Amino acid sequence: MKLGSLRNRGVLQFAAAALIAACAVPLVILADTYDAAEAWWKPGDQRLMPASADYDDPLGRVRILNAAGSVQTKDHPFFTPLGANGRACVSCHQPSNGMGLSAETIRKRWDETGGKDPLFAAIDGSNCPNLPQAERSSHSLLLERGLFRVFQAWPPRGSDGTLIQPEFTIEVVRDPTGCNTDPIYGLNGRSPTISVFRRPRPVANLKYLLELPHGVPPSDFLFYNDKSLLPRNPETGGFASLQLMSDGRDLTPRIQARDAALNHLEAHGALSEKQLSQIESFETQVYSAQSFDKVGGNLTGAGAPPGLGPEALEKGAPARLGNNPINRIFGSFAMWQPVNSAPDAENSDQPQREFRESVARGADVFYLRRFIINDVGKYNDKGLGNPFKRSCGSGCHNTLLMGMDLAPGYMDLGLNNLPWANARPDLPLFKVVCNTDAAPQSYLGRIIYTHDPARALITGKCADVGASMTQQSRSLAARAPYFMNGSAANLRELVDFYDRRFNIGYTEREKVDLVNFLGVL
Amino acid sequence: MAAFALAADPRPGTAVSFLACPIARDTGPDTDLCFFAEYDGVRYALVNPPDWGVPQLKHRVLVEGRVKEGAPYCGAVPIEGRASVIAELDDSCNTLLPFDGIIKGIAGGVFNSGTPQQRALAEDLARRAALDPALSIEPAIAEALPPPPPVPPFERRTLSIMYPFDSDRASGPDMIKLKELALFAKVAGARSVQVIGYRATSRLSDGSNLVERPQMAQARATKIASILAALGVDAKRSQVSWETQTIGGSGEEDWRNRKVEVSVDP
Repeated sequence: MKLGSLRNRGVLQFAAAALIAACAVPLVILADTYDAAEAWWKPGDQRLMPASADYDDPLGRVRILNAAGSVQTKDHPFFTPLGANGRACVSCHQPSNGMGLSAETIRKRWDETGGKDPLFAAIDGSNCPNLPQAERSSHSLLLERGLFRVFQAWPPRGSDGTLIQPEFTIEVVRDPTGCNTDPIYGLNGRSPTISVFRRPRPVANLKYLLELPHGVPPSDFLFYNDKSLLPRNPETGGFASLQLMSDGRDLTPRIQARDAALNHLEAHGALSEKQLSQIESFETQVYSAQSFDKVGGNLTGAGAPPGLGPEALEKGAPARLGNNPINRIFGSFAMWQPVNSAPDAENSDQPQREFRESVARGADVFYLRRFIINDVGKYNDKGLGNPFKRSCGSGCHNTLLMGMDLAPGYMDLGLNNLPWANARPDLPLFKVVCNTDAAPQSYLGRIIYTHDPARALITGKCADVGASMTQQSRSLAARAPYFMNGSAANLRELVDFYDRRFNIGYTEREKVDLVNFLGVL
Repeated sequence: MAAFALAADPRPGTAVSFLACPIARDTGPDTDLCFFAEYDGVRYALVNPPDWGVPQLKHRVLVEGRVKEGAPYCGAVPIEGRASVIAELDDSCNTLLPFDGIIKGIAGGVFNSGTPQQRALAEDLARRAALDPALSIEPAIAEALPPPPPVPPFERRTLSIMYPFDSDRASGPDMIKLKELALFAKVAGARSVQVIGYRATSRLSDGSNLVERPQMAQARATKIASILAALGVDAKRSQVSWETQTIGGSGEEDWRNRKVEVSVDP
């Protein structure tokens, strides 16, 4: 309990801590960081995005680093409305939210605009376009869980446009939004469509997502899951990493931008090559990570753990395994362990010291604390064994500095499929019945109840139902809620999900330490 | 459990082939699980399969191998051979033995895997990172050196890729060999690349037969051929075929018949 209260005490001390931090950062950062009016990047704003800027978030500050230098947003396609609904890319990829979008920010936009912000566009910013758009309840999934509607034609088509024959049938069991049973937008409409609800992924640190993995041969050209070939990047002809999207539907930033412009921005036509290049150039040079903690103080600079802050990400080698005793995924936190963090003239802040020690313990829990990982479809069955015993870091979150799974592969952690998923009466529920000649989902068989078939909506494969790609673990403090369906409202709920799912038995102190550790990434 | 104590361990070289539930055993807080399976009163360690053969609870496992010399592993008789996870769910296979304090695992890690050069580089980095924590975010696992490019004279090369029962998922090590073979075919300007897929029957120790699905030979062959083509092997010079008949089992190393044979003629 003592540790859990650290953050509260830290909030009270924030003013003092902010003053201390202010002395250590350039003025350009201060100008952007503490002007609350500037926190929201409105589509069409003509501003200079600094090479480095810090933004307040619930636990401290997140830093956005433009490695190529400051960005003039005037007429830049990432920042400019490109379609009918007035949104730009920046609408859902806000610098102050680690280039993602938090539910807190969404609610604030609703309150400030009376629901008129383009964020709440009927197409995907509401539970279904057929609902009365002026009512708050019509946007409940976005407001409460940060979820946008992702609508996909069913059955799916391959990247070459050919129809994929699914290995399963799908029916709607429960439809709280009404969209999947709607005669226009639903599964039985003239253009059968499945609507699922997902969080936007952060557009930052992309070099780690786009590079093919090193050190896990033959996964530099094959799926880890089944030793089939990775798809080709149509722009380069090389293999694509598949790390960009949770379901792998868009392979590159350019493809994703084209897709997003049409489906999220309601663009009137295709983006030009120049626009696509501008968006790609911006997205592949922007880095994001937490830079300051309200209790823990500065997270970067002399004496700080070397893996923290976006500067480390900019310099870091992408797509490397970090699950070894040297790298420990996010580098050493030894300097914050008790033996190294004892009070001295420069470090007499006891709450800060205790917090940092908690973070260092959390790093140990993340990297060292093994538990039994069982029944994870597309994971335990890809040659690891069921069960498999690993820690968070040595298991699924093994990528150096980023914490997603390095080898290209999807997994059903239990976020979407019953019985593991959190109770989600707000989400649609589907019943999937797989053909008898199809390979079953390894631990759920051929009849699966799911809130989101995820990867299977792209491949049509029974074994892929509910499986998604792990995502990066940076800037978490700035972009709650977590998981692709927003199941965890905060980091504690995230840790509690894992603890329940895998029966880990974390102690209260371990949970607090893990939360503090994740919060500084 | 008494039955296991009474059964005599089979002699080295004895062939075994059976279907059973795998049993997982926890080997300590810092080490992995191990697996064994029980058949005819004997516990057999599922010790050396390539990646596709690691057993899974909730699935039966087809064990095909020979008893080998050596100390027990996972508290069971070591065998040399293959294990195949059966795809269909079997909820009755769900035994996980807790750590008993006696049968302990061996921790893996960067310092006892990889090539000698990779290990040496990692050890060097560990020493330097102990003094300078900033180095702890330098990649500790160096890239393995690529195999030397093929050089003349070019001669026929072949590769046999083995599979789990009823599966077209090859192992990682075999796929690395396939990649090398594709490079050889390109560099050597192969005039012919032949891919032949097979399916097989496993004869079990109890006299029954386990037959793979009819489409497996084709699925294996076409998957390998598509990978070769994507790796740049000229599809016009490739012949892809598969045997429609299953290869009969003898009860001894029948896993070797579940395969794709690739031959490259320069």
